[in-house]
Amino acid sequence: MKVLLVEDSERLQRSLSTGLHKHGFAVDQAFDGEQALSFVAVNDYDVIILDLMLPRLDGLSVLSRIRSDGNSCHVLILSANDQTADRIKGLDMGADDYMVKPFSFDELVSRLRALNRRQSGIKNPQIEIDGVTIDSVSRQVKYHDRSITLTPHEYGLLEFLASRRGRVFSHDQLIDQLYDANSYVSRNAVEAHVSSLRKRLKQSGAPELVKTRRGFGYLVE
Amino acid sequence: MYSIRNRLSYRIIIAMILVLSVMSALLYYRVAGHVQAVFDQAVYDKAQALISLTELDEEGLEFDFAEDGVMLEFVDGQDQQYYQLWEAGGTELIRSPSLQEHQLPMPGLTLGQHRFDDIELADGRAGRMIAINFMPRVEFDEEEIEDTDYQLPEARPIVMVFARERMSLDDTLYAVGWSIFLLNILVIIFVAALIWQLVGRGLAPLSNLARQVSGIDESNLDARLSHSGEQSRELAPIEHQLNHLLERMQSAFEREKRFSANVAHELRTPLSELKTLAEVGRMVPEDQEQIAGFFEDVGDISSQMEKVVVTLLELTRSEAGLLQNEPEDILLFDYCEHIWRHAVNGSGREKLLINQVPRNLVVHSDADKLGMILSNLFINAVCYSPDQAEVKVRTVERDGRLALEVQNATTDLKPEDIVHMKDRFWRKNKAQEKAGHSGLGLTLVDALARIMQMDIKLDLDDEGIFHVRLAGLQVTAG
Repeated sequence: MKVLLVEDSERLQRSLSTGLHKHGFAVDQAFDGEQALSFVAVNDYDVIILDLMLPRLDGLSVLSRIRSDGNSCHVLILSANDQTADRIKGLDMGADDYMVKPFSFDELVSRLRALNRRQSGIKNPQIEIDGVTIDSVSRQVKYHDRSITLTPHEYGLLEFLASRRGRVFSHDQLIDQLYDANSYVSRNAVEAHVSSLRKRLKQSGAPELVKTRRGFGYLVE
Repeated sequence: MYSIRNRLSYRIIIAMILVLSVMSALLYYRVAGHVQAVFDQAVYDKAQALISLTELDEEGLEFDFAEDGVMLEFVDGQDQQYYQLWEAGGTELIRSPSLQEHQLPMPGLTLGQHRFDDIELADGRAGRMIAINFMPRVEFDEEEIEDTDYQLPEARPIVMVFARERMSLDDTLYAVGWSIFLLNILVIIFVAALIWQLVGRGLAPLSNLARQVSGIDESNLDARLSHSGEQSRELAPIEHQLNHLLERMQSAFEREKRFSANVAHELRTPLSELKTLAEVGRMVPEDQEQIAGFFEDVGDISSQMEKVVVTLLELTRSEAGLLQNEPEDILLFDYCEHIWRHAVNGSGREKLLINQVPRNLVVHSDADKLGMILSNLFINAVCYSPDQAEVKVRTVERDGRLALEVQNATTDLKPEDIVHMKDRFWRKNKAQEKAGHSGLGLTLVDALARIMQMDIKLDLDDEGIFHVRLAGLQVTAG
């Protein structure tokens, strides 16, 4: 799941991105409104975490520009403004959620996951395919109650494809979605992660979920 | 709690009852007196008629009214009247047959005198009598007078008492009294109702004002008192003052709300930073480098929050009058250098201070507060001036007062910003604010200057140089 964190506080950026990385999110960091728009222009994000008081261009203007450009990615406003009018304004301008500072980091992560599920149209946090259960909350994968140990990248890849069943994603699309802008990931790395994921699933006796469409990319059917 | 309408109405009604009662009593006594006078006049006239029918001739006293069939009211009947006459010495001369064996009282009177009195008549009715002391009319024949042997009887004073019933008088007085009383009651009832209505109508603007005032609470302080039609001279100043008070209360409430919101906002971001650091820190206990960085952030956040809280406390103390001005002699040039070194040097923003304060100038001022003022001004000057810009401090004389002036070039300050710069939490661009600047610095500077009986003046000249002038320095030497 790819997240753009737009926040001018360097300290909050640091701690939030560390925590989100730890939860398997690919996080891009923007410190002002203009920087956020430049990120949005070249990347597809599942969720944008948006502060309202931003240098150069305030958060609501950023939100307005994102929506007027036809971008439908989820936006979660994270602001110190706690007035009901501020929330209403933010939500009415196209935000999908609003959190007031100070906030619980765990709640933020849960809301990000909920937004992601909403995007993929899956309400259940557990995805089950051919006996393989992917739990997006505990980030665990099981095959008939037998736990399958995956690295964060392998889990991210499986969850991303499983939550978008039937859709084919190219190497580049997977790199965009699963890695942040500062990670220089090659096509080979994606192939290596796919190969490793297939191997671990096979070792557990699970069916081969990740299929290859030659010349197009990968999918979970 | 009493009602003005009730109290006013009751008092007016009671006063009206008293006035009407007194007037009714006076009217009654006036009418009763008149009726009694008319009655007495009739009694007197009748008595005079009897006197005129009393004469003295050669045969002695004659009472023509006593002749049979002349005045039947003295004989018998439904409406009997009475008379009795005595000559001087108390010898009864005649009495009316209606008296029978009864007597009329004979008061002692001098000649020509008369007196009225209430008595009980012989038949038991209430009566009115008149007693008159008179000389009988002498009646003689002129031919007989020429006879020298003729002797006229000697005329002697006679006391006559005439009495008649007074029930008709009493009935009249009774009717008059009741009429006045009933009229009085009717007038009181009518006027009381009228007073109640008129007082209510007269106090309607007050009731309207009270209704409007009682409808105002902290949720609708934007409401203002109004009236329909012409405003009364008495209520106009009250309404005006209340509206003025409401305006000030609304302004104070909004200022308070703004202040609370600003404080909350200022503390929310560092609090969320602390909270996230704590929560994320628990997730990476093995990453010592990351944890060390987090602890460093916690230290910075604590310092930032401490600065906000300390500044707020200083402001509160200054507004509560807890800070005193404790002046002492200060060598101003050295003191500026000292404050600059402590406030600016080592902050990571190396800029040059051009100190143009006379080297031997000694001022009499509160060193602690002056230090806080200079520290805030220097930090602001350093943070909000372009890179490589210089900060200048000098003394100037304005309007006969010595002022210390700090000046620096600015980046995006506009003349219209100047009026807001002393406001709490005001910052040109909150989002662009560097960490540690809460927007309270100039507010605190202004508050401290007031305690030191000095003025802070802010100015932005045409060349974009920002001047802060601290006027009112007391020079001791130099």
